[in-house]
Amino acid sequence: MLGAVHNVPYPSWLNTGDNTWQLVAATFVGLMSLPGLAVLYASIVQKKWAVNVLAMMFAGFSLVLIAWVLWSYKMGFGATSLGGGVHDGVQTQLTNVGWVKHFFENFVGKPGQILNAYNEQGPAVSAANTAVPFHFPTTTLAYFQFVFAAITPLLFLGSVLGRIKFSAWCLLVPLWSTFVYGVDAFLLWGGGYFAQEGSLDFSGGYVIHMSAGVSGFVAAWVLGPRLLRDRKNAIPNNLVMAAVGAGILWLGWNGFNGGDPYYAGADAAAAVVNTNLATACGVMVWVAMDAWFSKPRKPTFLGAVNGMICGLVGITPCAGFVNGWGAIAVGAICSAVVWIAWNYLSKVRPFSKVDDALGVIYTHGMAGFLGGMLLGIFGDPKTLELGCGTLNSAGQVVSTTQSAFVQSHGGCSTFGVNGLMYTGSSHQLWEQFRAAIWVVFWSALVTFILMKLIGLVLRGARYSDEILEIGDLAIHDEEAFPEETLAQRVGISTMAGDTPSVTSRPPDSGPPPGVADS
Amino acid sequence: MKLVVAVLKPFKLDEVKEALKTAGVQGMTVTEAQGFGRQRGHTEVYRGAEYEVDFVPKIRVEILVDDEQAAEVVDAVVATAATGKIGDGKVWVVPVDTVVRVRTGERGSDAI
Repeated sequence: MLGAVHNVPYPSWLNTGDNTWQLVAATFVGLMSLPGLAVLYASIVQKKWAVNVLAMMFAGFSLVLIAWVLWSYKMGFGATSLGGGVHDGVQTQLTNVGWVKHFFENFVGKPGQILNAYNEQGPAVSAANTAVPFHFPTTTLAYFQFVFAAITPLLFLGSVLGRIKFSAWCLLVPLWSTFVYGVDAFLLWGGGYFAQEGSLDFSGGYVIHMSAGVSGFVAAWVLGPRLLRDRKNAIPNNLVMAAVGAGILWLGWNGFNGGDPYYAGADAAAAVVNTNLATACGVMVWVAMDAWFSKPRKPTFLGAVNGMICGLVGITPCAGFVNGWGAIAVGAICSAVVWIAWNYLSKVRPFSKVDDALGVIYTHGMAGFLGGMLLGIFGDPKTLELGCGTLNSAGQVVSTTQSAFVQSHGGCSTFGVNGLMYTGSSHQLWEQFRAAIWVVFWSALVTFILMKLIGLVLRGARYSDEILEIGDLAIHDEEAFPEETLAQRVGISTMAGDTPSVTSRPPDSGPPPGVADS
Repeated sequence: MKLVVAVLKPFKLDEVKEALKTAGVQGMTVTEAQGFGRQRGHTEVYRGAEYEVDFVPKIRVEILVDDEQAAEVVDAVVATAATGKIGDGKVWVVPVDTVVRVRTGERGSDAI
């Protein structure tokens, strides 16, 4: 049948490879939260807090998604609400308006839902990405971005667990996600001020990890410490399950960083390998420092997990913007510096006076900051130029040599990566620094206000000491490892086939039916 | 020789241990236990089904002492373990016939 029309269930702008990888990557990132982070945190707290951690993880994940599709996705990735340079997903660079006007007009997107059929299945657009159009629908981008938005408050649950009320958590998560995450995501990713200025954050070293570290620290400070006894006896309940959670976190990061080029292309592959490489270096540096410099001079498994997180977090802002050598440097430096901070800075104010339960300020806050700054040093301009092609009108990739492409297009992005090591210019480093200062300031300020407000509304955001003594059982009526022998079901009804229990059998009546004499 | 046995609230263990060290006690044995006393148990709920758990987690401490030290040890345990709330536990003392230190074969008071 010559000339027959073959229908396909997707439009011409959609690329099945891109769409597939983006949805798979998003699912991987989702698995980092549930079960990855949920299991990791629930295993490294005391047994009496495990259920509470799990419940807050599942609630937090759910709350972010509901807020995300109703209003906050558009705040991060929609058109600006304040009349600046981003309109309907297209960026119109403002010039000569002064930085104050430029900043506030490109501050946050206009809230809105993404639930009608066109919003769900129409082509994804983002002001940050006008050079090469996306080849997947809005919901692919929105879900991919959701799993990032979701894991961020779940990360700083590690700072406030062991005393925050479940109700306070359920208020904090959507509010924080709206006012902190929505704003920072727009500023750095959605085409807002810092994106236009050239600050880079590949997958969220600033927007996610540094913000989580700072917010957790401030929230822990406002909330007050856990019980003295809980701080004295704060030992993990299951290192084997901690390994399961940590492992899911590591491999899930392949989606975290591998998905952020938004195309199933060469940079995605490089980002995945860079991520694993930095992480491997992070693990071994922390283990080596434990073995050589810690007081007991022993390599520790939970040290390896800390080093793993430092490597993962450090490479997050850089993953597709550095080469493999840069990845090695980033992983090793982040792990070493955070190891020193973890062991020494923690004894100095204000760190010694704030009960950041799982130390999120170190492994996420500091590693995120370091990674973002190191991008200003190790960012390799060539990473963006390799792997670009052009499409013909039929949507097929036309064969293009790299040099021909770069000559005709000047690169395939509206932005550049200009690390000090490769360009000799410290401008990138300066832009990284400015964005870092902003994210620290905004996360701290808004978290402080939200925690105070929630405290007023709920008459205290923490549980009473009586409840804290007991933990899971007092809060949820559940415990992580219930003893079957000690519990009796209330109001159980008898059913056909029930036999009298062995203990109620009269003595000398022989073995119960069906049991052979041995 | 006497065996002092105490069933206590678990979170009091550290304080009790320190008080006993101060009182000159050289060693003790601790077991996690589940107890049933005048303190109410609690309810647990799994998948909407309610379960009664009459037993509450306790710590059982056993201390071997000389006769003349027993009263002092009991006082130290009671003084540190008391919160005044129901469920603080119990302490009792039983006479001990023989004690042997396994390593040396010492017997009686020398083995304590």
